[in-house]
Amino acid sequence: MTRNGGWKRSLGDAAIALSLALGYVVWLLRTTKDLGYARDEGFYFQAAQSYGRWFEALLTDRHAALARPAVDAAFSVNHEHPALIKSLFALSSVFLQKRHHLFAVEGDSYRFPAMVLAGGVVGLVYVWGTQARGRVAGLTAAVLLAAMPRFFFHAHLACFDVPIVTMWTLGAYMYWRSLRDGGVLFPLLAGLCFGLALDTKHNSWFLPIACGAHFLALQVWAILARTRVGPLLPVPPAPGTTRRRGFAALVAMALLGPAVLVALWPWLWHDTVPRVREYVLFHLNHEYYNMEFLGKNYWAAPMPRGYAWLMTAATVPTVTLVLFAVGLAVRGRLWLVGVGRWLAGKRVTLRAETPVDAAGTDVLWLLCILINYAAWLSPGTPIFGGTKHWMTAYPFLALFAGAGFSAVVGAARAELFRSRRRSAIVRRFAASSWAPAVVMGAAVAAAPITETVRSHPWGLSSYTPLVGGAAGGASLGLNRTFWGYATGAVADFLDREAPPQGASVYIHDTAGPAWDMLLRDGRIRKDIRGVWSIAGADFGIYHHEMHMLGQEYQNWVAFGTVRPAYIGGLDGVPVIWVYETERIAALHGHGR
Amino acid sequence: MRPLRYAFLAIPLLGLAELAAHFWFAKRPPTSDEWAAVVPAVRQTKLDGDLLVVSPAWADPAARSALGDALMPLRDVARPDATRYPHALELSILGEHTSELAGWREESRRVEGKFLLRRLENPSPVHVVYDFVDHARPPFADVRGTEPPTVCGWTTHAPIVAGGLGGHPTFPAERFECPGGSYFNVGVTVIADEEFRPRRCLWSHPFARGEIVTRFHQVPLGRVLRGHGGLYWIIERKKAGAPITLTVRVDGDTVGTAVHRDGDGWAPFQFDLGAHAGAAAAEVEFAVSTPSYNERHFCFEADTR
Repeated sequence: MTRNGGWKRSLGDAAIALSLALGYVVWLLRTTKDLGYARDEGFYFQAAQSYGRWFEALLTDRHAALARPAVDAAFSVNHEHPALIKSLFALSSVFLQKRHHLFAVEGDSYRFPAMVLAGGVVGLVYVWGTQARGRVAGLTAAVLLAAMPRFFFHAHLACFDVPIVTMWTLGAYMYWRSLRDGGVLFPLLAGLCFGLALDTKHNSWFLPIACGAHFLALQVWAILARTRVGPLLPVPPAPGTTRRRGFAALVAMALLGPAVLVALWPWLWHDTVPRVREYVLFHLNHEYYNMEFLGKNYWAAPMPRGYAWLMTAATVPTVTLVLFAVGLAVRGRLWLVGVGRWLAGKRVTLRAETPVDAAGTDVLWLLCILINYAAWLSPGTPIFGGTKHWMTAYPFLALFAGAGFSAVVGAARAELFRSRRRSAIVRRFAASSWAPAVVMGAAVAAAPITETVRSHPWGLSSYTPLVGGAAGGASLGLNRTFWGYATGAVADFLDREAPPQGASVYIHDTAGPAWDMLLRDGRIRKDIRGVWSIAGADFGIYHHEMHMLGQEYQNWVAFGTVRPAYIGGLDGVPVIWVYETERIAALHGHGR
Repeated sequence: MRPLRYAFLAIPLLGLAELAAHFWFAKRPPTSDEWAAVVPAVRQTKLDGDLLVVSPAWADPAARSALGDALMPLRDVARPDATRYPHALELSILGEHTSELAGWREESRRVEGKFLLRRLENPSPVHVVYDFVDHARPPFADVRGTEPPTVCGWTTHAPIVAGGLGGHPTFPAERFECPGGSYFNVGVTVIADEEFRPRRCLWSHPFARGEIVTRFHQVPLGRVLRGHGGLYWIIERKKAGAPITLTVRVDGDTVGTAVHRDGDGWAPFQFDLGAHAGAAAAEVEFAVSTPSYNERHFCFEADTR
């Protein structure tokens, strides 16, 4: 390829990545109004409001804002989580909403930074996939990541779960670019991105483990190549320069990462060591939450070891998982064949056309998946957020899926070429560089996109056909919802049913600040008050979680009925329902 | 022909099959309109005294919303178990059946749209002579404490108290109120058992000392006195509380004692009534006590049969 052609291709890829990112952000913005606010969002709204006041103070009186009392007061709120993403929420609210009124409702301004980061990782996966395995692989990987129902759900939220996916992937990408391209820039960027990841969420702690394990693998590979085992290796080792580049990236991550964390998290500016220690210990000793799995409520160790694996199979579209397996097999075939021949006592000879992947891309992607799932091999790991805790593995899963799809398209093209004399249609199809990929891509993407679109706004209730969809998940006893976010789905009912003089609603699992944001956004009438006790309330909301069923029974006795006045849910599966007093029921002619 | 020549087609076909399967599974459960449409068939099939059970259990709220309290009263929905019912109507969707009615004989079946209605006969029906929870109000019952002697007065308009998120069950407006705070009352409520199933029972939080005694008058007796006791599982599962003793006395004779330890769950008890069996009008006392009353959210139900 000419230098000019290379630039054109790079610009084209950048344009495609940007289009994917922008398209995803627009999709998220257009669908966010259907989604209530999750518990944790409520707490992050509070933190962002506190941070926002500090940012405004910083602009008006920098000296006073930087004094310890002001810093500690602003950043002590929710200091069990780092500040970067909450700072973005705050900056978005202060500058984009309060000053420029860019959003229809205030809540969107807090959610916007996480949406942008969600779009960013979709674009990044396209770029990485394209650079490593070609455009078909990159585009497929990006689409399959975007069309994971759970990822799509979390991508809406003013939380850290999708932002850490982005930061984690970005850090791994910069490490990979360091290996592939060398120089100073990419190791520095790897260090910077690791710092940003550290300041996003504690899943970032796994990133240097994955990169370090990869670096070690390259070393072992090189050492083995120099021994008698060397001729048996089916893939040549990375050259010494690549390994030195990897070391440089790891050093940069070790030096820059913590520095960036402290620099961008003002809570750590004072009493740094004890506060870092407090933060680390909080997450190492995280309390156990309740989680239903296969009809049993787990609330203390030992937690089920099969949780992460089964939930991945039950929530990631099956065709995506199969393509991941195809990609893994295709990319690993040299190793598999080599090991097979070695076991058979035969010498392995490298095919001349086998390219040397100096950056050890497949090994890196695989390690990024395994490291992100590794925590769930321990029955002591708390499960408190469903699938979101290993969502950092999903970009790499999608990248393998993209590679798998690229291989399948390659096989299709080869077969079409062989069959080109059979008919004119086949001949034209075989001659097209894009037609097989587009037709097969449409068939592959149809289910993930449909499942994702139809899962909204019930993302946490969504299950793939592999387990029978939402109903199958409910029958299997898999968690139907958590975080109390589904309140948004009953807002219209409450607005319609509450008497003109107002009403009180027991809001159950909805966090107070999340309810307040629904009011401020105008999504619930301002004369409808959220209350913390069913007793005396006009309405009682119940978000279904197995361990919360006692809450539903509180409604029965308080309202004197077992008949829900309203049920919201996905594909006939109840997720949230509302009880009402006899007085309200009579107002609307509802029987009991 | 090479066998794997067309293997690449498996991937797009899998994608299309997943798409078709998604819509198939999504359309299988009944909509709210379909639930409403099955109500007349349920009314025709369910006879007085039949238990109505929905399968799978996750569809229960949809069934309750459509069928209402008349067809699915709290007493049945939060039943202690199914033994007292001579017949049950299972309203089933998606081909699922409840294990609670396993072994019951199918008398009839009827398909209505997406629903299968099966009327089932209990292979070992029992006759409940007297349900104590149904009679936990004056003039059938009174409540007192023993140390110090106190009387718990009956009210029909006490302020309803609910524990909220993770809190105690709701205390209804109709209850016996005892001195010492809102926890000390006897009233009909519903707790979540170890499988988080609803259990209608008599809240009977013991005092710091002595017994809280619920006494029933003029009780016709069967051969045995049978019941269950437990605590809201969120409390009980911590296994941190003191044991709770339930003593049952008939006309002053202790006929049985059940000790409930945290972790026992919704635990059954059964006492032979011996010489009292078949009495036309006995006085029956349920006395609850504990050596340490912290978080002793004890709730029991009983009948004589």
